[in-house]
Amino acid sequence: MRKLSENILDKFSMDFLRNQVLKNAYGNDDTVIAKMDPRILLVWYLFFGLVPWFLNDVVLLLGIFLFVALTTRAAKVAPLVLFLFCIGVFSQTGYLFIVALFFGGNTETIAPLLVMTLKVAAVSLASITVFSGLDPDRLANGLLWFGCPGQLSFSISFAYRILPVLMEEFQNILLSYRLRGNPPHRNGLIGKIRYLCYQVKMIIQSFYPLMLNTAKRSRTTVEALELRGYRYSIQNPEVKKMKLSMLKVTQADIIFVCISAAWVCVCVGLSVVL
Amino acid sequence: MSIIEIKNLTFTYPGASEPTLKNASAVIEKGDFLAIVGNNGCGKSTLCKTLNGLIPHFIVGDMDGDVIIDGLNTKEQEIGTLARKVGYVYQDFENQIVCPTVLEDASYACLNYAMPDYEEKGKKALHVCGLSSKIGDYVWQLSGGQKHLLALAGTAALSPDILILDEPIAQLDPAHADGIYEVLKELNEKYGKTIIVIEHHTDYIVKYCKDVMLLKDGGVQWVLPAKEAMRRTDELQGCNIFPPQVAIAAERMIDAGLLPKEPFLQKEEELPVDVAEGVRVFTPYLKNKGPAYKQPLKRELKREPIVDFKNVTVKYRAVKGEPPKIFDDFSIQIGKGEKIALIGSNGAGKSTMLKMMMGLIRPESGQVLLNDRPTADLPKEELGRTISMVYQNPEEMFIKDSIRKDIEYAMMVRKVEDYQKRTDELLEMFRLTDLQDRDGRLLSGGQMRRASLAIGIALQPEILLLDEPTANLDIATRREIMKTLQMLKGITDTVVIATHDMQLVCDWAERLIVLSAGYVIADGTKEEIFADMYVRQQVGIRPPQICDMGRALGIENPCFTIDEFMEYFRGEKYA
Repeated sequence: MRKLSENILDKFSMDFLRNQVLKNAYGNDDTVIAKMDPRILLVWYLFFGLVPWFLNDVVLLLGIFLFVALTTRAAKVAPLVLFLFCIGVFSQTGYLFIVALFFGGNTETIAPLLVMTLKVAAVSLASITVFSGLDPDRLANGLLWFGCPGQLSFSISFAYRILPVLMEEFQNILLSYRLRGNPPHRNGLIGKIRYLCYQVKMIIQSFYPLMLNTAKRSRTTVEALELRGYRYSIQNPEVKKMKLSMLKVTQADIIFVCISAAWVCVCVGLSVVL
Repeated sequence: MSIIEIKNLTFTYPGASEPTLKNASAVIEKGDFLAIVGNNGCGKSTLCKTLNGLIPHFIVGDMDGDVIIDGLNTKEQEIGTLARKVGYVYQDFENQIVCPTVLEDASYACLNYAMPDYEEKGKKALHVCGLSSKIGDYVWQLSGGQKHLLALAGTAALSPDILILDEPIAQLDPAHADGIYEVLKELNEKYGKTIIVIEHHTDYIVKYCKDVMLLKDGGVQWVLPAKEAMRRTDELQGCNIFPPQVAIAAERMIDAGLLPKEPFLQKEEELPVDVAEGVRVFTPYLKNKGPAYKQPLKRELKREPIVDFKNVTVKYRAVKGEPPKIFDDFSIQIGKGEKIALIGSNGAGKSTMLKMMMGLIRPESGQVLLNDRPTADLPKEELGRTISMVYQNPEEMFIKDSIRKDIEYAMMVRKVEDYQKRTDELLEMFRLTDLQDRDGRLLSGGQMRRASLAIGIALQPEILLLDEPTANLDIATRREIMKTLQMLKGITDTVVIATHDMQLVCDWAERLIVLSAGYVIADGTKEEIFADMYVRQQVGIRPPQICDMGRALGIENPCFTIDEFMEYFRGEKYA
């Protein structure tokens, strides 16, 4: 039991979160999804992220859900993201589904809920495939191609550069609090609640030094960006062209699109037949 | 031909009452390798920022006088134009790296300036900086030294005529430091770049730089050839710069009558500054090479262990593939009252070892015992009473908005009696009384270090762990840190310092633990460690210059301080 609680606690350490963020961003850069052209994937997402909302056929939705589940698997998404996905879907509609089952709901009450759950799940998984399967730079370039401002695409790639650094710093600040602080005892229920409140307060307080340290650190970054010509790159359309010249649609992309289309057609066919 | 001309430059930061630069003038020749020296806060970084146009274009302040770069006045140029002529590598280089992968970051500036062969340029710069094998890596996979090289590559890729580096080796082990300077030397000699470094490691200045500029109170005191500059020991020490140890030794020996005054009266001519010169000067006066007047201290081997690493294996969480092992079946004991220096190259596992003692990193197998109790089972709050750690980055110690509150926090929440009185004492002891209401983050590097040490010892822990306490510090502050370590006697007896600073090691440590790739490859007194050439080569540690000087003269026992060195010149000469 003790082992288990330790194991769970370990899972929620900052170190673990940091690792998951990195894993999510860069740990899967050799998957089929990561190697695809970001523009194709974004168009693909436009279909799988929007169309399910307008469908009400359980068979068709189930088919789409299965397909995006497969692509998510192919993208080797980090476990933490999947865990959050499950929590999210469950808290949105899943619990209603289960409650309905418990209190003697029949197929009539359950069917609409199932449809709703499938919709949410399919759309979420499609988003996870695209946004977490692609490496942030490729995603940023894809967005740039579709006319998003350069600042946005820079922010995405810079956020991933700086996030691990920030998380490590946060971990250290939190540790400073823990080592120097003196928390209340955790005996009894009230003690446990007090202890929990103390922990939450500590986490909130840790943000303050983190912000200040970040402000200090960003002074260098801002100067360095200026020296390295960031401002010029935004004004110069030539730079955008150069950045995007490496985007190429390959055979793999076409195959992927064909498979997607074929799958959807089969699903539509099945839903008509059944 | 001069490439930089600074004419009567005065600069005041907005809101400051005093100008940072006062009427500074200098001329820097093309192809020079110049070191700028001066004490903390004398305007070195500010001067360098006027060269690339950040001042006055980006940092607005009061600027008088002119800076002419290659015939162009910085006032009339855009930053973009100047950035292609003058490259700048920051002291906190980590924040200069903005892209996630190595190649992207190296070619980032070239891409921004729309150079069609940007990737080629990035690759070439990486090659020159010795990072060719890391091209596809992510930035967070690099070690500290490699990140610094990447920052340099990112700047060099634009192939500016002038490269400025702010304290390029402050946090590096000697092997990596040599690496950086070799790259700079190549850029200087082969590619004809003008290199400017802000540096206070005088042995590197003597070895690599051509000229030295001394800044004092915002003005340029002089610009002299490197060796000549290093002979001006009084002026250097006046500005808190350590002259080469060999020069100090010679000077003190003249004062003590061990070297004749006559040829050395014109100090500028004769004072030796490196080992080769030292051999020429010292050899005729060496009295004996025999065993030293003192026997090397034998370490007490039987001590009660306070921290005990038992067959510890540690892995890091990997982003991809197998988790790398940092330690494999690692065992060592730390005795009560030991003064331990933990040395080894960047990434050898020093910080990991410190973190394990704090129970921050859980070993995969094995145990770390603190007073016979596994650290993993102790609550952090209790650990904080026995053991205290001062981080490498002092900013992470500041959790309140003034250093007074930071120092008293731990005592206050633990309801220590008279905590305010103790806080006053600590502030006094670290000379922070006048600064007590300032935010720790806004202090200078040295003040920040002192504050973080005061926070670290506030609870009077049994064990103190310091991670690189002397990086980035000038000698005045370093001496203070040393003094503080002496003051700790009686309360905090066990101190472990992870450091690259061999002078600190020689002056203070009683036991040295040398780590290399997660293994203890040597463990003993400094005499034992520095005598072991194999270990020295393996981890690239380097004893202080005076130690090499003694060896070059053929003195049998290693000398670690100038006093020890001088003993060999006293008394009668015997065959």
